[in-house]
Amino acid sequence: MSTGLATRYAPSFRLIAAHFGLGLLGLLVLSAALAWRASALHGHYFQPALLGLVHLCVLGWLVPIAIGALHQLVPVVFEVPVRSERAAWTALALYVPGAVGLIGHLWMFATGWGLVASAGALVVAVWLYIANLLLTLARAERVTLTGAYMIAALVWLAIAAGIGFALAWNLHAPFLYVDHLRWLRGHAHAAGLGFFVLLVMGVAYRLLEMFLLSHVPDTRPGRVALVAINAATAMLLVAFVFGDVPALAIAGVVAAAVGVAAFFVQVAWLWRARMRRRADTAWHHTAASLGYLAIAVAAGAAAALVPLPAPWRERVALAYGFLVFGGFLTSVVVGQLYKIAPFLVWFHRFSAYVGLKQVPAASELLPAAPQRVQWVLMHAGIAALAAGIALAAGPLRLAGAVLFGGSSALVARNLWTIYRRQP
Amino acid sequence: MTIDEPLQTALREVMDPETGINLVDLGLIRSAHKDPHGAVIVTMTLTTPACPAGEMMVEGVKRRLLRVDGVADVEVEITFEPPWTPEEITPAGRAELGWR
Repeated sequence: MSTGLATRYAPSFRLIAAHFGLGLLGLLVLSAALAWRASALHGHYFQPALLGLVHLCVLGWLVPIAIGALHQLVPVVFEVPVRSERAAWTALALYVPGAVGLIGHLWMFATGWGLVASAGALVVAVWLYIANLLLTLARAERVTLTGAYMIAALVWLAIAAGIGFALAWNLHAPFLYVDHLRWLRGHAHAAGLGFFVLLVMGVAYRLLEMFLLSHVPDTRPGRVALVAINAATAMLLVAFVFGDVPALAIAGVVAAAVGVAAFFVQVAWLWRARMRRRADTAWHHTAASLGYLAIAVAAGAAAALVPLPAPWRERVALAYGFLVFGGFLTSVVVGQLYKIAPFLVWFHRFSAYVGLKQVPAASELLPAAPQRVQWVLMHAGIAALAAGIALAAGPLRLAGAVLFGGSSALVARNLWTIYRRQP
Repeated sequence: MTIDEPLQTALREVMDPETGINLVDLGLIRSAHKDPHGAVIVTMTLTTPACPAGEMMVEGVKRRLLRVDGVADVEVEITFEPPWTPEEITPAGRAELGWR
């Protein structure tokens, strides 16, 4: 029965902090690697340094934050404890060497048993996380729209991880009947569209409602988006893997566009109904991320459907991938970190003093100015990187990578400031 | 919303950690009454049943009211009937949220 006191189900602070800390470390390493090898963001996407960078972004930065956030949100939103914290720690212990090994082997294009072993550790870790979270969700009394998104996202993550392992093995000892690059595109879309986009959408409805103090009972656009994005991911996966199915690719792109449009409608409704009128930096990051998502959909549609000449085809495809992972997902994650991290620190350090003395609000744990500076640096960096990729302009890519690196250092500094706050 | 006077003043010092707005102006306190023996019963709601700050706000309400003269015991009841809606935010709360 709902008690209304959901925080009692929250997992240990250490579990969430470990995942967020790992993700933050991943962001800093990614930023350094990006500045070092900004030249890799050029040409065909199947090249070692680029594969290393993409997996560093996804496995080093985005996935640890997403997994940490899921372990915090699922128990609180659905009022059930995590099925097993020990399983989550075990998964993390497997995940770290698996991810580091996979990124390193891809970067050096070392396709020996080390690559297979790293991918094996990684897939076991990811499946363990997923099983633990799905078993947690299975205990919920009622699966809401957000819960349906989470379940679908986790299923796609399991598929993406499985394909990823097969691809690693295929680099070591080719066995896939279908061309490696086709599976690679399917793998990227299962992870990017199936897991990340669905997860962000599902969580966004819940968090925007809470953070904007907004109440929109009509969730039809959200339901349309759920069906459309799932259908799009499935159709694109089949179209990529089995190739030469243009009708399915077109249908997949249309479904993805419909899904994103429906998501925008639901967000617009939440925005219009908000009681909290002052937009903070977290919201500005979210707004920017929606812009990147819209441009990414257009770039993805162009890459998939328009017969572009060779250099433009590669540039648009790269820009599309960058806008999804480096633009949309990175901005939305940084924005939500500015919400979740202060709250977690406030909960563990300040909440015991509520009612006894004046305590700051969670949003007051970090002044607005350093957040704004970080926002400017980050979005200038992302814009320069995207333009540099699309126009094949090396100096622009390098300038973007340096700005992005500065913004990442500022994210780390800002979160460290929050973490150090004491009553 | 019916809240006995010294209790209302005290409850305005308990803030929602996310918005920084006190629970009275956020419309979360439905009623708060003290009986002649110093026992206080507060009926409050949360912005959502899964509010991550729910437990802390309940504990904060208890701690603050126990510091009010004449209060010996505090009981907090959570209700979602009817569920909270933004319309329950007071004009003062709306001003703090940026409504003009």
